[in-house]
Amino acid sequence: MQKRSSVSYFLVFLILSLLILSASKIGLLNPLDSFLKDILSPVQAFTYQTFAKISGFDQNAQIKALKTQNLALTQQLIDQNKLIGDNKALRDQFQTASPKSSGLIPADVVGAPGFIPGLSVPEILILDRGVNDGVKTGDAVVYENNLIGGITQVTANLSMMTLLTNSSSLFTAKTLETGAQGVVKGQGGGEVVLDNVVLSDSLKKDDLVLTNGNVNLQNSGFPPDLTVGKIISISKNPSDLFQKADIQPLVSFNNLKKVFVVVNYR
Amino acid sequence: MKFLAIILLLLALILEVSLTTIPFIFLVLLCLTVVLRANWLFIAAFIFGLLFDLLSFKALGISSSFFVIFLFLVLLYQSKFEITTGYFVLVTSFSGSLLFLFLQGYTNAIILQTILSVVIGLLLFKLIQKLNKPLGVSA
Repeated sequence: MQKRSSVSYFLVFLILSLLILSASKIGLLNPLDSFLKDILSPVQAFTYQTFAKISGFDQNAQIKALKTQNLALTQQLIDQNKLIGDNKALRDQFQTASPKSSGLIPADVVGAPGFIPGLSVPEILILDRGVNDGVKTGDAVVYENNLIGGITQVTANLSMMTLLTNSSSLFTAKTLETGAQGVVKGQGGGEVVLDNVVLSDSLKKDDLVLTNGNVNLQNSGFPPDLTVGKIISISKNPSDLFQKADIQPLVSFNNLKKVFVVVNYR
Repeated sequence: MKFLAIILLLLALILEVSLTTIPFIFLVLLCLTVVLRANWLFIAAFIFGLLFDLLSFKALGISSSFFVIFLFLVLLYQSKFEITTGYFVLVTSFSGSLLFLFLQGYTNAIILQTILSVVIGLLLFKLIQKLNKPLGVSA
């Protein structure tokens, strides 16, 4: 009799449980489920917090406190590293004789549209300085005495600079050792060439390419003798009018954080 | 004894949904079934299984199905074995806890938790046995 009674209890509650499980799985009980959770969650939260306060069960609270502390320390570390980087960049820049430090504005790179690390190289950078800081269209952007690019658009507080590797980048340059004159053209994809070098001029591998200077009366433009890069290969064909050379910039544009805008050459 | 059993089950529910993954509700139900062998424990298994599912954000009915099936299996064995023994509790709490933790998807230190469950189960069994003696068995 007892066994038969157990079987009937078992069957009734098993069927009920399975029905509820099926209804729950297909989402029929969602409104009831959320209603009951709303009622019971404060009780659950209260019991959890109560137990968490009891000594011995307090490990989670300690872990939480340590995690918070860890986050704060990580932030401090990031800030400190940024300060160290800024400090180094400023020191390096102010030790550079040309361009003069009095005409430079330090700027942080705040954006690199279209740059996907590993897939593409940056061609445009957004700087956190604008008209309000004295930045003008055409100003050169440098890092130490290396030319990075030029300002092409300016807003009140931001500016857009085009890197010298950008295909729209074009300016005259010369080589340091041989004094060959030519035009630096950005090729896109991180490549730059020194083109339009007459065949009579001599090009040498590993020679440095420097800007010729094109500062205008508004005091903007590229100052002379900024390093563009070094020659890594030369293409010279006697039947062509000009020879050209591939240039490798000395600065990696992928991880630029701070640059300097030349706002006042003289 | 019913009142005491409900208090124990409530405590187990609070512990299980707030603090630990050790299957306290299952262990209390198992020990109560072994000692009391009462049919009303099916109702308790059903209700506390639902409450556990609700508070632990599981699909409703999964724990109650498990509890109901396991209690029935325990009661089935009473005609073949003496179930009110430590050995029986040891075997059933080990196998039941392991299965329950596995069904709940807990894989972290599952064996350690099962061994701990066995120890807790044996202690609970002794406690419920002691509490039940002066009060008498209520079926």
